Amino acid sequence: MTAVADAPVRPARTPPHRRRSARRAVPHLVFLAALLVAWQLAAQLLEPIVLPSVDAVAAAFVDLVLTGELPLALAQSILLLVLGLGIASAVGLGFGILIGRSQVAHWTLSPYFSALFVIPTVALVPIVLIWFGFGMTGRVIIVVLAAVVPILLSVASSLRDEPGELVEVARSFGVRGELALLRTVRLRAAVPVIMSGLRLAVGRAVVGMAVAETYLRLGGIGGLIRDYGSLFQTDYVFAAILPLSLLGVGLSALVGVLERHYQGWRS
Amino acid sequence: MSAPARPRPVLQLRYWLPVLSLAVFLTVWELVGRSVDPLLFAPPTRVAASFAELVRSGQLPAAVAVTINTLLIGYGLAILVGIPFGVLLAQSRTVGTVLRPYLYGIFSTPRVVIVPLIIVWFGVGYAGRLLLVFLWSMIAIATSTADGVRNARPDLVEVARSFGVSRLQIVRHVLLPGSVPFVVSGLRIGAERAVVGVVIGEMFLELTGLGGLIVTEAQSFETGAVLSAVVTIAVIGTVLIFGLDAVERRVSRWKERSG
Repeated sequence: MTAVADAPVRPARTPPHRRRSARRAVPHLVFLAALLVAWQLAAQLLEPIVLPSVDAVAAAFVDLVLTGELPLALAQSILLLVLGLGIASAVGLGFGILIGRSQVAHWTLSPYFSALFVIPTVALVPIVLIWFGFGMTGRVIIVVLAAVVPILLSVASSLRDEPGELVEVARSFGVRGELALLRTVRLRAAVPVIMSGLRLAVGRAVVGMAVAETYLRLGGIGGLIRDYGSLFQTDYVFAAILPLSLLGVGLSALVGVLERHYQGWRS
Repeated sequence: MSAPARPRPVLQLRYWLPVLSLAVFLTVWELVGRSVDPLLFAPPTRVAASFAELVRSGQLPAAVAVTINTLLIGYGLAILVGIPFGVLLAQSRTVGTVLRPYLYGIFSTPRVVIVPLIIVWFGVGYAGRLLLVFLWSMIAIATSTADGVRNARPDLVEVARSFGVSRLQIVRHVLLPGSVPFVVSGLRIGAERAVVGVVIGEMFLELTGLGGLIVTEAQSFETGAVLSAVVTIAVIGTVLIFGLDAVERRVSRWKERSG
């Protein structure tokens, strides 16, 4: 169970004392200020197409919000992400349980998830869109293909290890049958690992979403960025990339919080 | 995937079940593809025919050469820069903590949306494609190396220091050997990132190599040719990962012997 073995290795954050955390913020703020000043100075020297000034990017951002372009694109992208991640979680959980609990299923299905594992989702975008259409279906399938593998692998690997004593205790309390055991013990014990799989899946889903939208140049934040990119309106490109980065970072942070919550339950 | 958890007397099920399942899958695909629309749902025989045709015409070998060139040079640069950069990130606490959010931000930004910026900065060409491979792969290697160096045993560093060893020698003889598992896992994530980066550059920046082949063939609905290129990319990625596995095994053997 590599995921669990890896987990404690990650540098543990000591809970920061308030006064110390204030002092720790200083280098961050200094660096941010220096970065913005350097950006602004460089923007004076370079063409606005190459590097728009900070205020131009801010103005473009306000414009994108006021015209409703950015909120609409973000809403389309988030809808795509939610649908894709939801289906990927259901499929990953289902097949993960199957593969984790049945050796026959594992061997039968292994060629397919190995293939999904080694084929970059980007490379599948054109063919998936040809097969499933350029509408929502094709896009959702791309996000599912991008996100399903880490979920499936984490579910399968965590269910394969027997939480021995827990199963014994549950049996002695009268829990009978594989399904009941799965629900009451095995899946709950597997939650921390599944969460770390989900965190990986979120990152991949965002990439799948962006690739599908950019390839189609139709709607969503990816389409928006590509449209402004082909007009060489670099200030608008920057203004649209930043919220997308924040979306990705924010979503994985959210899953990270859940992950730590459930890890706390374990220890 | 890992070996079965419990040793059970099985009739080599683990070898022939995948083969059987694949055979069934390919047969069904062949039959369905032929009856529905052989052009759109190119059945396996058709994919094989397009593959042979692409090889004969020299299109596929040329595309493979372009892709592998960008992949290896970009990934090689990422290793050369990423490992020292990771050591720097871990050695200087301020640099590490200040840069971390930005590296993380860049790393989690999908590369497709950076393509418009790369076009205005580097133009449509080799340099831009190389950057798409290099930067994200380098960040993966650097952050993982930094984690490893930070987790190096402080007692060994202390011993080395008390012998009056220089900082560079500590890095070379204590910190890097101690962080090898982290570096290798960084190399692995970096390799995956590099393969995706090559394909993105070829599909969205400059239509060339295997990624370009996918896009141009998809535009004329040549699904057989598209799948041939997809499979070739998967093979390249697999070879790279297997190579890293071999390195990992060799390194861990070396660690055991010397440790």
